Amino acid sequence: MKSLLLGSSLLIASSPVFAGLRIVTTTEDLAALAREVGGKHVKVESIAKGYQDPHFVDAKPSYLLKLKRADLFIQVGLELESSWAPNLLRSARNKKIRPGARGFLDASSGCDVLDKNADADRSQGDVHPEGNPHYWLDPANGRIIAKNIAGRLSELDPDHTQDYKANLAAFEVSLKEKIAGWDKLAQAFKGSKVVTYHNSWPNFAKRFHLNVIDFVEPKPGIPASPSHIKALLERIRREKITLIFMEPYFDEKLPKKIASDTGANLLILPPSVGAAKGIKTYSDLFDHNLNLLSDALGKKQ
Amino acid sequence: MMDILLLFAWPFAALLVITAIHAYLGLHVVQREVIFVDLSLAQIAALGASIAVLAGLDLHGIGAYLCSLGFTLIGAAFFAFTRSDKSEVPQEAIIGIVYAVSAAAAIMIMDRLPEGAEHLKHIMVGNLLAVTPADVIKMTALYAVVGLLHWYWRASLLLISSDPEKARREGYNLRLWDFIFYGTFGLIVTVSVPIVGVLLVFSYLIVPGVAAVLFFDSLRPRLFFAWGLGALVSVIGMAVSFWLDSPTGATIVCTFGAVLGLLAASRSLLSRRAIKI
Repeated sequence: MKSLLLGSSLLIASSPVFAGLRIVTTTEDLAALAREVGGKHVKVESIAKGYQDPHFVDAKPSYLLKLKRADLFIQVGLELESSWAPNLLRSARNKKIRPGARGFLDASSGCDVLDKNADADRSQGDVHPEGNPHYWLDPANGRIIAKNIAGRLSELDPDHTQDYKANLAAFEVSLKEKIAGWDKLAQAFKGSKVVTYHNSWPNFAKRFHLNVIDFVEPKPGIPASPSHIKALLERIRREKITLIFMEPYFDEKLPKKIASDTGANLLILPPSVGAAKGIKTYSDLFDHNLNLLSDALGKKQ
Repeated sequence: MMDILLLFAWPFAALLVITAIHAYLGLHVVQREVIFVDLSLAQIAALGASIAVLAGLDLHGIGAYLCSLGFTLIGAAFFAFTRSDKSEVPQEAIIGIVYAVSAAAAIMIMDRLPEGAEHLKHIMVGNLLAVTPADVIKMTALYAVVGLLHWYWRASLLLISSDPEKARREGYNLRLWDFIFYGTFGLIVTVSVPIVGVLLVFSYLIVPGVAAVLFFDSLRPRLFFAWGLGALVSVIGMAVSFWLDSPTGATIVCTFGAVLGLLAASRSLLSRRAIKI
């Protein structure tokens, strides 16, 4: 009986149609985590590429096809993808991954989410009332996301529960080691004051003890007003801020000018897997960013 | 395969509905030489919506829609009032100014909004693949009403578009008829722009009309040609977008450009041959 089962599963595996779970994620960070946990039982694809701004994604036909065939859809949530993902899900008409179905996973549940119910304070920039959606930038949250994914995979594919558990455990062990290394790197620039372009970094800053004091963009898509720029320049000079960092998908022009006017460094810090060359896994992302930061901040202080 | 085709059935249906009304309105627009009036009216509608949000209304609610519609009708009245054959200032200039000022005003208002800026941005962009059956039904119903009005008043509406001087001599109230034209036009544009975006609306309006004027002299053949061309480009554009896996709206707009280029080239070849004979 056992050999019969084995034989039939081999048959399925050798057929050109993939027999495991098809996972579609909104971002490459979630895709990287799903790959860690799902291993050989899953095929993962992300809709937004790491170099794209996940707030805005232009729909392509292949997105609908991927969603149509998906067994599991994973989103960052907290309105990050609210301008495109719900509509695409509706258009794909796949009952398995409809919000509320078991094939729909919001990765944010249980994560440490910051800026909840933020006041409509304009210095906060882009306001997401449910909290800041860039929570994957704290590796402790990465662990929770991986756990959420492993739990859902076990529900959808109970035959491989043991594998998912083992993959999750292996990931947790390696992540724990990595976190210790990152925390050590971050010691060198603990408490540094920085300015960022978009409010994408509160979780990252909290984890690695950076102090984000202001933003270049007062609002997404709204050019900074002269008074905002003036106040920002004065503040950077007064508080001797040496570093401005920004996401790769925004326009560099204004941050470059601010940096050259104040003598601060401008650093392009990728917020996602796939946003810069060589960042293929979730750990790569932090390796890359912490090395960049310790080069820019660590030596000077 | 069938279920894959079905995925694209609603976006395609939306394109056909848009072709039906826009290709027709485009003939008016080309004749009136008010090419950018749709962009201008869409921007006025977006301004109305952003003011509604500033006043605390829900962007997707009926209040915001009425506010946006009200602004569109004010814009329509303004365009009707400023059309004059004697003026030194071409109407296209006024349309451009209204576009720039209302776009800038919307930016100023969005800056004051604690949230919703992203949604407002989407008013102008649209998303063809995410079109819902409800969207298509709503569009079809509204366009059918406007289409019927235009069919009922066809003689008058066509006359004021093509020969306003003659209409004036025959005792037409030009301002009123212009208002009816721009008002119904604004109604259409405010609905189509959030669904498929400004670029597609502009292309469906202008390209079939321009191509039709290249080949035919009277309204009926022009209209049928424009409809045929719009439907054909919809099919080709969706297929190309599928094949290249490129953003669908942008692909269709480029297809329009390519097809119009081919048509214009073949027309100049044809006319050269005619001269030789």
